[in-house]
Amino acid sequence: MSEQALIERQPRERIGKAGRVLRRILREPLGAFGLALVVIVVLSALFADVLTNYPPTKLAPADRFAPASLQHLLGTDHLGRDLFSRVLHGGRIALAIALGATGLSLIGGIVLGLIAGYGPRWLDNLMLLLFDAIKSFPTVMLALTLVTLTGPSLLAVLIVVVLVNVPGYARIIRTQTLVLKSAEHVMAARSMGASTARILTVHILPNVIGPILILASMDIPVVVAIEAGLSFLGLGVRPPLPSWGAILNDGFVNIRDSYWIVVAGGLPIILTTLGFTFLGETLRDVFDPRLKRRE
Amino acid sequence: MTKAANINMTRRGVLAGAGALSLASLIYSTKRSQAAGSVLRVRSYGDIQTLDPAFRLAAPEGDITNVIFAGLVVATPGDSWGWKPMAVEKIEQLDPLTIAFKLRDNIGFTDGFGQMTAEDVKFSIERLADPANKSPYAGDWATLKEVEVKDKLSGIIHLSKAFAPLWTSTLPTPSSTILSKRAVTEAGGKLGVKPVAQSGPYLLKEWTPKQRTVLVRNPDWKYEQGGYDEIHVHPIEDEKTAELGYEAGDLDYTWTSVSSIKRLKETPPADTVVVEKPSLAFVWLGMNQIAAPFDNPDLRRAVQYGVDRKAVVDAAYFGAAATSTGIIAPGLIGHREKNLYEYDPDKARELVNKAGASGVTVTLDILNKAERLSAAQVVQANLQDIGINVEIKQNDSGTFWTLGSKQNPYYKKLQMVLSRFSMQPDPSWATEWYTTSQIGEWNWEQFSSEEFDKLVTEGKIELDPAKRDVMYKKMQDLMEESGCYVFLTHEVTGVMYRKSVAAGLKPNGEPCFADFKPA
Repeated sequence: MSEQALIERQPRERIGKAGRVLRRILREPLGAFGLALVVIVVLSALFADVLTNYPPTKLAPADRFAPASLQHLLGTDHLGRDLFSRVLHGGRIALAIALGATGLSLIGGIVLGLIAGYGPRWLDNLMLLLFDAIKSFPTVMLALTLVTLTGPSLLAVLIVVVLVNVPGYARIIRTQTLVLKSAEHVMAARSMGASTARILTVHILPNVIGPILILASMDIPVVVAIEAGLSFLGLGVRPPLPSWGAILNDGFVNIRDSYWIVVAGGLPIILTTLGFTFLGETLRDVFDPRLKRRE
Repeated sequence: MTKAANINMTRRGVLAGAGALSLASLIYSTKRSQAAGSVLRVRSYGDIQTLDPAFRLAAPEGDITNVIFAGLVVATPGDSWGWKPMAVEKIEQLDPLTIAFKLRDNIGFTDGFGQMTAEDVKFSIERLADPANKSPYAGDWATLKEVEVKDKLSGIIHLSKAFAPLWTSTLPTPSSTILSKRAVTEAGGKLGVKPVAQSGPYLLKEWTPKQRTVLVRNPDWKYEQGGYDEIHVHPIEDEKTAELGYEAGDLDYTWTSVSSIKRLKETPPADTVVVEKPSLAFVWLGMNQIAAPFDNPDLRRAVQYGVDRKAVVDAAYFGAAATSTGIIAPGLIGHREKNLYEYDPDKARELVNKAGASGVTVTLDILNKAERLSAAQVVQANLQDIGINVEIKQNDSGTFWTLGSKQNPYYKKLQMVLSRFSMQPDPSWATEWYTTSQIGEWNWEQFSSEEFDKLVTEGKIELDPAKRDVMYKKMQDLMEESGCYVFLTHEVTGVMYRKSVAAGLKPNGEPCFADFKPA
């Protein structure tokens, strides 16, 4: 086969593999349901401005507690803001934080995990101590401490999530790096004079990243819940930005006046959590069928 | 093999055992509490941070110090403002400058600090009034000359000048609380959250921060008895949360949110009395005049013109409260009929541009409560409309009430604050907090005016109501002209309690814990 034919074949193979994965996800009822939910949540967040005419922060106190109608699909809150618009725009913030924080956590976890696994023993021990120390803090306490120091903001939420997730990812990468460190292909690369950076990025990283990506996809709903929880407590996204947690809090304090605010705030959290969890579990089964057989 | 060695200690077994033990202890503590006698469960809007009456931070602390320490007199419940003797057998004003008192003979301090004497009265009042002690409530005794001890139980309070608010907002408040001279001295001159030498009808038995304060009947208190053996005070900052707690059966008495009064009156929870009381409190939007960008008077004036007060109040209280014209409520001497600067967004935009502040971002600190957040969001929208971006910062009560304190370096950076003060039925209690000497205490806007300070002093010693009326109106004009204040509302007070409780409430709905009785 010519070199040109090889180059042309690679993308096609990738598309073929992605297609196979998609088909396998769709074959699993829960996987298909999860994927559908994720697609709905992502698309509704992306096209929030198209799907609703109401700005999410526009106040109209005269219209407060309006029930669901054709004009306001999910009704209005205590300040007369359109809940449908707030839920859609809140999804944008939730997903941005979830994807951003998970991405940053992944980068941090991979870098630190590789260093811990491939570095000298004393550094490994020191980093393990650090990971365990951070993990030992309850998430909410850590968040409260940080927010007290920095004030509530999107950045604070991001920092909390990254701090909480990095040690978990780093530990997994570290364990796999320790195994691969003495693998034949790594030892061969080392004996041929490959630099540490090359060994880590070319020979180890591609072999350890798969499982952690699946884990990260299953962590997205956790991050969504953390953001919503902090915003519910008034420690996350600052008003008037819409956040599912803040909507839930508005619903909680006004539940005797209108129940639909709680529904509007709670439903997207539930659906997003279910969607990413089902999708993540199906992906795990697809990529590592042994796990499914064991179950 | 012994019998003990046969015990199978599985993880599940240990967990089950621990669960059973927890359940048993819960049942035991509940039974023990029920067995102990009648318990009143009340909600307060903040946790205690100090139990020193001279340095109290908010009304919930005063509610507790009022029953664990005896004051000379204490406010009475009912629809009109009044007082009744507490530590005194007799107290009378002999002339505008002289008040004679005689203590009851057998009021004792706990913890072995002996009997309450006139020497303790002298110590407590002079301690609070002494500027060296920096009590924020020193103004309550602004014209005190001295307390003269006549004998063990009798004494005379000498004033240097007549003092108008003496019988309304000084004596029937925690500012007349009598502490043990020896106890306070041994404690280093100040009390903390662990009270010593208690002397009132109740004793503080237990304080679990952020959860509850338990008061129990003082067996040595010989006079008018409280109606309950125990009072459990639960700090719940948000009224809406308290309402849910009440409806879940966890409370016997609570303030409601203003915005819920209408609904609760129409459909009250079972066996509940819902009452609406006029409030003397005042809510305002403050700007710190030393913190940029509010060191620019044009920008402060722009905010005054830019905030639609009616929209703010309507949104926060669902139309249940009216806007205010100052810090002195209707019915009191000094109440103003109108504000100096009304909503005018065009003029506000002009001033923002003149100040070169279009697009500026400022921080608005608020207490983490539903109504404050609603109000803040309307302020935010109003100011965005005139070119000022507002970041709302929600604080819990412990943080919020120290934002403007000198002990907190943030007091110089604080930009805008949405705040509420409770009030006593004399106008001097409203203006007291905005003098120059209160900067770093309660004057968070750092408003400073020599004319205002002079009027505050003169207002207390002026006995002619007509003259006082003019003075207090002028004081509010000066506050508003400074640009530091947007007066929002006096609110109204919503209260609900079980029909099985005869609530002891002041005319503004504040509780007198010792006057709560079973109905």
